[in-house]
Amino acid sequence: MKIRTPSTATGDRLILLAVVLLAAIWIAPIVWVVGLSFKPNEVLMRTTGGLVSPPFTLKNYTDILNSSAVFGWMLNSAIVAIGQMTLTLILASLTGYGFARTNFPGKRPLFLLTLVALAVPEQAIIVPLHTMFATLDLHNTYIALITPRLAFPFGVLLMTQYFRAISPEIEEAALLDNASRLRIFIFIVLPLSVPAQATLGIYTFLHAWNDYFWPLVSATRPEMYTLTVGLASMQTNFAQTEGLGFLMAQAVFAGLPVLVLYLFFQRHIVAAVAGAPTR
Amino acid sequence: MSGAILPAPSQRTATTGSGIGMSAWANMFFVLPYIIVVVALVIAPLFLGIWLSFQDYDMLGGWAGGVAFENYTNLFSDRIFLGTIRNTLLFVVMTTPAFVVVGLFLAITLNSHLRRHAVLRSVFFASSVLSVTVVTLVWRLVYLPNQGLLASVTNLLGLPGIDPVTSETWALPGVAVVTVWWIIGLPMTLFLAALQQIPKEIYEAAALDRASRWATLTSITLPSIRRTIVVVTLLEVILQFQLFGQALLITGGGPDNRSRPMVQFIYETGFRDLQVGFAAAASQVLFALMLVAAIVQFWVGRSRDER
Amino acid sequence: MGGLSLRGLSKSYGSLDIMRDLSLEIADGEFAVFLGPSGCGKSTLLRMVAGLEAPTSGEIHLGNRRIDAIAPGERGVAMVFQNYALYPHMTVKQNMAFGLRNVGTPRDEIASKIAIAAKMLEIAHLLDRKPGQLSGGQRQRVAIGRAIVKQPEVFLFDEPLSNLDAALRSRTRIELARLHQRVQSTMIFVTHDQVEAMTMATRIVVMNHGRIEQVGAPMEIYRKPSTRFVASFIGSPSMNFLPVVQAGESDGRALVRLADGTVVATEILSASVPRSGEMTLGVRAEHVTPGSGTAARVDVVERLGERTLVYAIVDDGSTIVYDEPGDVAPAIGEHVRLSLDPANVMLFDAAGLAYHAEPRA
Repeated sequence: MKIRTPSTATGDRLILLAVVLLAAIWIAPIVWVVGLSFKPNEVLMRTTGGLVSPPFTLKNYTDILNSSAVFGWMLNSAIVAIGQMTLTLILASLTGYGFARTNFPGKRPLFLLTLVALAVPEQAIIVPLHTMFATLDLHNTYIALITPRLAFPFGVLLMTQYFRAISPEIEEAALLDNASRLRIFIFIVLPLSVPAQATLGIYTFLHAWNDYFWPLVSATRPEMYTLTVGLASMQTNFAQTEGLGFLMAQAVFAGLPVLVLYLFFQRHIVAAVAGAPTR
Repeated sequence: MSGAILPAPSQRTATTGSGIGMSAWANMFFVLPYIIVVVALVIAPLFLGIWLSFQDYDMLGGWAGGVAFENYTNLFSDRIFLGTIRNTLLFVVMTTPAFVVVGLFLAITLNSHLRRHAVLRSVFFASSVLSVTVVTLVWRLVYLPNQGLLASVTNLLGLPGIDPVTSETWALPGVAVVTVWWIIGLPMTLFLAALQQIPKEIYEAAALDRASRWATLTSITLPSIRRTIVVVTLLEVILQFQLFGQALLITGGGPDNRSRPMVQFIYETGFRDLQVGFAAAASQVLFALMLVAAIVQFWVGRSRDER
Repeated sequence: MGGLSLRGLSKSYGSLDIMRDLSLEIADGEFAVFLGPSGCGKSTLLRMVAGLEAPTSGEIHLGNRRIDAIAPGERGVAMVFQNYALYPHMTVKQNMAFGLRNVGTPRDEIASKIAIAAKMLEIAHLLDRKPGQLSGGQRQRVAIGRAIVKQPEVFLFDEPLSNLDAALRSRTRIELARLHQRVQSTMIFVTHDQVEAMTMATRIVVMNHGRIEQVGAPMEIYRKPSTRFVASFIGSPSMNFLPVVQAGESDGRALVRLADGTVVATEILSASVPRSGEMTLGVRAEHVTPGSGTAARVDVVERLGERTLVYAIVDDGSTIVYDEPGDVAPAIGEHVRLSLDPANVMLFDAAGLAYHAEPRA
């Protein structure tokens, strides 16, 4: 990419070496945890050295599988993440299209409202939000876990920008083809926005799956915990180190699905993150 | 950062007809569901929160009427709360430069189509997709005294052991390290996106002008992405003000409140002690601080742009 | 049936007037070309007919229906866009069927209409492809096919040839003319290319600054432009314009004097020409012949194959372009004398209005 002269080759190598070293530091904690998660707790009590030396065991993982709570939490996380993703896609698509391609009285102020919402951090409203849901007696329900995250201005901006980039001629052609506004949206605009839907969808799913603060305060009954909150609740007795291997297996068990997801959808996830400065 | 993304006043505004750009009340239905959601779940809580901050409202004791600024005066005489402000500001000061400098270094180094660079980018980004629970679990294990990875390394190098979880000095930096490790992928990706916007021809022209590597970096690369550097700094300041999960789950705010951030204070007063009015007031202080930081940043970036 | 009538159309964006009080009648079956430079309002006019923009005031009638307030899809018009605007995610067949499906046309009727149009346009083998797999020319045909299957009363073309290469463009011009012969529908074609206008139109509407400059058959507009703008816009190379002063009359016809003092005879009735004010003489390259007359120096020679153009500079510094009749072009710097054909020179007054030769009885 960059133009290189022979004299800079040594410098390049040094920099690459530095980056590789940094990457090794970055990846070390994960490798260490994954490796030790296959070792018996009794061995870890004595020493955490000897990463690749036997004995190995799968007991830490079977212990997780035997604790039924984890599966319930995973199911909750899946329901919440898929629900949030689906509803966000619907809302963001409709709204993005409305802002990008239609005109109506009050469009500018309403768009500004969306931008203002972007500036309000979760922490500024979580107390009153909690009070509202408590008043409606909705805590410990999926509704409470899902709905507060639907006000996701970033998704609206992403879709607005995407729709704006679609040539208006195509919609005008559809208009001349006697298609109604709704038909144009469903049969022309939505199919054309599949790449953006994928990006926003993956991003929203991950966000919901990893969400911590709101599920922590809203879901107070263990059976309504999401995986994130549930795992955190198990870490309270950290001083008792007899379960080191078990804790490591938990980390791997909870982290692996998202890492796999990341490997498959890396392009979309990075695209969504790169879209963030446009807000 | 704003302005450019506002929809331009449409060129085709008319009251009749049904062309693509034409104005009609019916089109409002596209945005109405979302607007309702935003008003109900962002705007309403925002004002409810401001109102609550002037009330004596306790989830157990119930509502005991308005108290004017009492919650605020109590806050600012609360040593723990003042400590959380200090901790939060310190944390922002520790992490933001790290995010900008490391993120920029990685982005500039790994900005190419080479396969090994793509792999390295993946490595630095991967941790960002983990939840705070997984990240803190991993790092509590790393930070374990004696058995932890950190202890093993310091032993190996013959250095004195550090225990970030129990050390007053190292608690907050320990949380900061975890945070940088966790989401370095965000600034790196933003910088990469900006770097890819720089036309290749500029580098070719610089090479023909016999610009050194350092000259190329300082007089082409950095000036070209100056706007992004400002935006990323702003973004990181705002994000790091919101420190919560890492502190709560690694140090619990200790020892001696040395790593307790403002959000944890809000969480503990609002959701553990159920002093809703008091917590709402603390939220307003946090929000105000973030706004001030954002405005200062924005203003600094702006005035530099104009020069 | 398909006659189009535009009555008193105005269009303004805020305080900016794009078009004011424009009226035009287009007869059923005409191939009308709106011609003008970019920004002259020709596309806006077309889009108002299509219903993609609403006029600020005025009426549009198609046959005996008033259509300016009804939805674009219900006007009985079809449009071919500059960038074709094919639906990228649909096959050619689906592209053509979409408009028919929207109005509930029976499936077998859609199939037969598509088959007929595909055969006519020679795109039958492309029906299952998507637009992304087609060449520019093929996309162009599909866009036309999508219009044809709707059997509209009026076809609207918005600069549809501007994205094609030169060879394809001239071929498509002929095909469009042929298509017009065949379907006999009213067609409106917007372009800034005078060659397209001259070759296809039954009538050309020359527009400038939101106004109609002239409406007429191609040769009428070429031979008798009503304004200096039309004269300069039509024809290649552009018409020669030379400042003149009046020098009396001869036999009732105006005489004018060029800047170098040469007197040029015209066939324009001197009574019709204003007595005073600055005038401009206009003459096309093919009506200038070397031999005798005003002195000029050869500056550039352009060989186009079928004709050779010579650009010569006269004494006052203005340039005259003329057709070199022989095969041997003069050398650059050579001095020539040029005479202007009295029957084909025209005069323009200060307002740009044209005065033409009057044939002798």
